[in-house]
Amino acid sequence: MVDRLGVGIGWRAELDLSIARLPGVDWVEVVAENLHAPHLPESLLALRRRGMPVLPHAVSLSLGGAEPLDTHRVEHLAELARALDAPLASDHVCFVRAGGLDSGHLMPLPRTREALDVLVANVRLAQSIVDLPLALENIAAVLEWPENTLSEEQFLTELTERTGCLLIIDVANLYANARNVGTDPAAFLDGIPWERLAYVHMAGGIERDGVYHDTHAHPVPPEVLDLLAELRRRTDPPGVLLERDDDYPTDTELATELAALRATVTA
Amino acid sequence: MSREELAARQAALLDTLLTGAPPPPGFAPERLRVEADVLLAKRRRLMAYLRPGLAESLGERFAPLFDAYAAAHPKTDTIRAREYADAFAAWVAGREPAKRRRWFRS
Repeated sequence: MVDRLGVGIGWRAELDLSIARLPGVDWVEVVAENLHAPHLPESLLALRRRGMPVLPHAVSLSLGGAEPLDTHRVEHLAELARALDAPLASDHVCFVRAGGLDSGHLMPLPRTREALDVLVANVRLAQSIVDLPLALENIAAVLEWPENTLSEEQFLTELTERTGCLLIIDVANLYANARNVGTDPAAFLDGIPWERLAYVHMAGGIERDGVYHDTHAHPVPPEVLDLLAELRRRTDPPGVLLERDDDYPTDTELATELAALRATVTA
Repeated sequence: MSREELAARQAALLDTLLTGAPPPPGFAPERLRVEADVLLAKRRRLMAYLRPGLAESLGERFAPLFDAYAAAHPKTDTIRAREYADAFAAWVAGREPAKRRRWFRS
């Protein structure tokens, strides 16, 4: 159902020359808010001309926010997806803004029926605007709502059943949540409807003061690769994407990380 | 919980995390501190990325100055990131009139 993508990397302006020459990059994902359809960077257009899929990934739709959806942001994502001829578009299961404030980050939702109803209504509206398959990603949380009644895998499963959306499963976020808020990774992996999987995210992080931070600025830890192997025992993911957003390493190091991802999912 | 109540709970959480308002009931206080630090660090990194010259010229004073600014002026949903960076730069400049006057005289 979902196109096979292979192994990809998060496109960043700082990495554009590396990505063009790195071996083993089948596709890239771009942060939707950083780009504008009429002014796409030449290095990205060059990848498109080579036939490389470029998938837009939004971070600011605030689909779990209880205030009215900002449809201008959704239209921006839709316009970018069209300009890139992307097979799908995505954002996260989270809220970003509330009460006039902008958190600048992905905030966890209370996992309740009522919060799910709000998310479902917003996702349906976004789907009607994007007019492409929409995929939603699990986030890394350092706090939990006291109201929680559903597990994360229940919440994501019901979201897909009610909206028909796809899922991006971020394995590093799953690892972070296991470390920080006590998520059971095995129960999570057993509960995800894998037929709805669009692709997998992988990233590095670091522990500080007893908290695991999903920094995207460090190498992927062995424990996160182990979790990807656990995921692989349950499904053959259509795509795996490495996210690196800061402290950019050498091309050789990036190529080594990409090769490790490929080896883990090629069973 | 109605959509309106959920909106109020989400707003109260962000108010606590971004301005230090009293914590909404039920959340673990130490977790709220961790999340507030995560949000502040992310905003601080974005500011340094958008205004590298300002961050460099302030040196070790950048982080405490930015943290003080962010607590007093949390980013709202109507201001763009670059406008917010401009506002911080103007706030920093406005705080240092004595130094600026010396510089202009010399």
